[in-house]
Amino acid sequence: MLQILIYGAVSSAIYAMLAVGFTLIFGVARILNLAHGSFYALGAYAAYVLTSLLGVPLFIAAPLAVLIVAGFGVVMERFLVRPLRSSQLAVLMITLAVSLAVEQALFITFGSEYRNVPSFVADKLSIGGVDISGQRLLALVAGVLVLLGLWLFIQRTRLGAAILAVSQDPEAAQYMGIPTNRIFSIVMAISAGTAALAGVLVSPFLTVQPTMGLLPMVKAFAIVIVGGLGSIPGSIIASLILGYSETIVAYLISSSWTELVSLVAVVVTLMIRPSGILGRRAAF
Amino acid sequence: MKRISPIDIAGGIIVVAILALAPMFAASNYLTGVLTVCAIYGIWASSWDFMSGLTGRENFGHSLFIGTGAYTAGFLSSIWSASPWISLPLGVVIAIAFSLLVGFPTLRLRGPYFALAMLSASAILQRLCLIFWEYTGGEEGLYGLDPLIKNPLHYYWFVLAILAVTVIALTLLAQSHWGLLLRAIRGDEATCQAAGINVTFYKIVSLMISAGFAGLGGALYAHYQLQVSPPLFSVVVSITVIIMVYVGGIGSIYGAAVAAILLTLLTEMLRGFGEYRLWIYTLTLMLILFFLPNGLIAPLWRRMTERFR
Repeated sequence: MLQILIYGAVSSAIYAMLAVGFTLIFGVARILNLAHGSFYALGAYAAYVLTSLLGVPLFIAAPLAVLIVAGFGVVMERFLVRPLRSSQLAVLMITLAVSLAVEQALFITFGSEYRNVPSFVADKLSIGGVDISGQRLLALVAGVLVLLGLWLFIQRTRLGAAILAVSQDPEAAQYMGIPTNRIFSIVMAISAGTAALAGVLVSPFLTVQPTMGLLPMVKAFAIVIVGGLGSIPGSIIASLILGYSETIVAYLISSSWTELVSLVAVVVTLMIRPSGILGRRAAF
Repeated sequence: MKRISPIDIAGGIIVVAILALAPMFAASNYLTGVLTVCAIYGIWASSWDFMSGLTGRENFGHSLFIGTGAYTAGFLSSIWSASPWISLPLGVVIAIAFSLLVGFPTLRLRGPYFALAMLSASAILQRLCLIFWEYTGGEEGLYGLDPLIKNPLHYYWFVLAILAVTVIALTLLAQSHWGLLLRAIRGDEATCQAAGINVTFYKIVSLMISAGFAGLGGALYAHYQLQVSPPLFSVVVSITVIIMVYVGGIGSIYGAAVAAILLTLLTEMLRGFGEYRLWIYTLTLMLILFFLPNGLIAPLWRRMTERFR
């Protein structure tokens, strides 16, 4: 029972880090970023290259990997997405093309075999009789801290207020003197950075390989649809729901069936309440 | 509304004739095989174009229908050893069933739900094929399917005929009142709804048609390869089809089919590049998005034949 509670929390935290970035860039810039999964994969690979190949100490490598991927996200938004922003379809196509290009680039450079990243924390901890690796616990703690920090940033700072303003009405925000394009870049950096951080944190205990980004991205879609497109609290609630129901399914039935949970959640949500749990606008 | 002019019909007949006679000049099973794959990709690309090109609802998981059609053929032929002729219609039926499963909850909504749901559904189905390997054969898939027609050249002609029928049927549908409605939905959905058109119904039925042809193509592909494996469901298959349509000119159907044939031949020539092939593909897509948003084949054909119309 406690095991479900802890492991569910860990996977919820990782899902939340992925989903929040995805929903943020959609809510603010109306960019549906199909390359979101490749940020996650790039984060994991950057951690691998920095630690295993270049021998950079872990606690420098992790933030560095996040920064590199955030920079990649900003460049992608500026040079590939922004010129095509007038057409929603073109944005979908270009981000999908980027995700495939990244996957292929990783495949060509590193091959398809699994890579290993050393653990940040080697110790195992025991909470109430449940053994959990320090790395998983670190992922949980970091996830909660990042989400908390993001919430404070958006609610309490001037820049956060500007982001909120742009998400509510980009044109009005521009008239008020908010540089919308710069806000888009910042939000893209945050979105890519959180996804990369999730990738860095899971890299020691999940397999690092070129296609690792696709399935987490599908989960992020599911979470964002269940929680409501563009709503950050909604996607956090949905991450908890999905993370826990997957863990419960894995324990009670079999881990094979976990993949179906997100599919069922999406179908049920779209049937009953298409705008999601906390969607601001009806999707009809 | 542009109608089909005699020059279009003449062009179509010439292209089909060249394709049908091509294996006669260089009699090799290799070329026949490549051309068969070309024709199958033509079916997939034109079926994608019918739904997504006309209504403007991008389907990012066409491989879902291709894969279900192919796996239906795989199960029927390799496990239950049914006659290959049964797997074609059943492949169509199963693909249509899946299109209802995804289309019904998502197509009544506005926004990106349909695109996301199709992409997710195909990714999850590929994953399920690996997880339930006891039934699906896992990575290796199902093999030992019976060929539909033993002689590869005859099979190629059969597939080519189906491609021709597909393109003609979809073009006629697209030119009809029905196709006009689909185009209107692409233009302005709210106005269509206000005019009393059951928008959701038209979108779902056009997805069913698209899925049916894709499933047929999938079953044909399975009986050509004589095996099916999970990569049929992959995003790469979907994106390859979408790139073909973009090169062909979105919404033109015949352009998609021609582009599919040309690009498949090109891919075959690029085989030497090995793993860089997909890179070249994605790069093509980016360049087209930036510089040729209307595609290449259909606008070119229209310009070439302008004075004959």
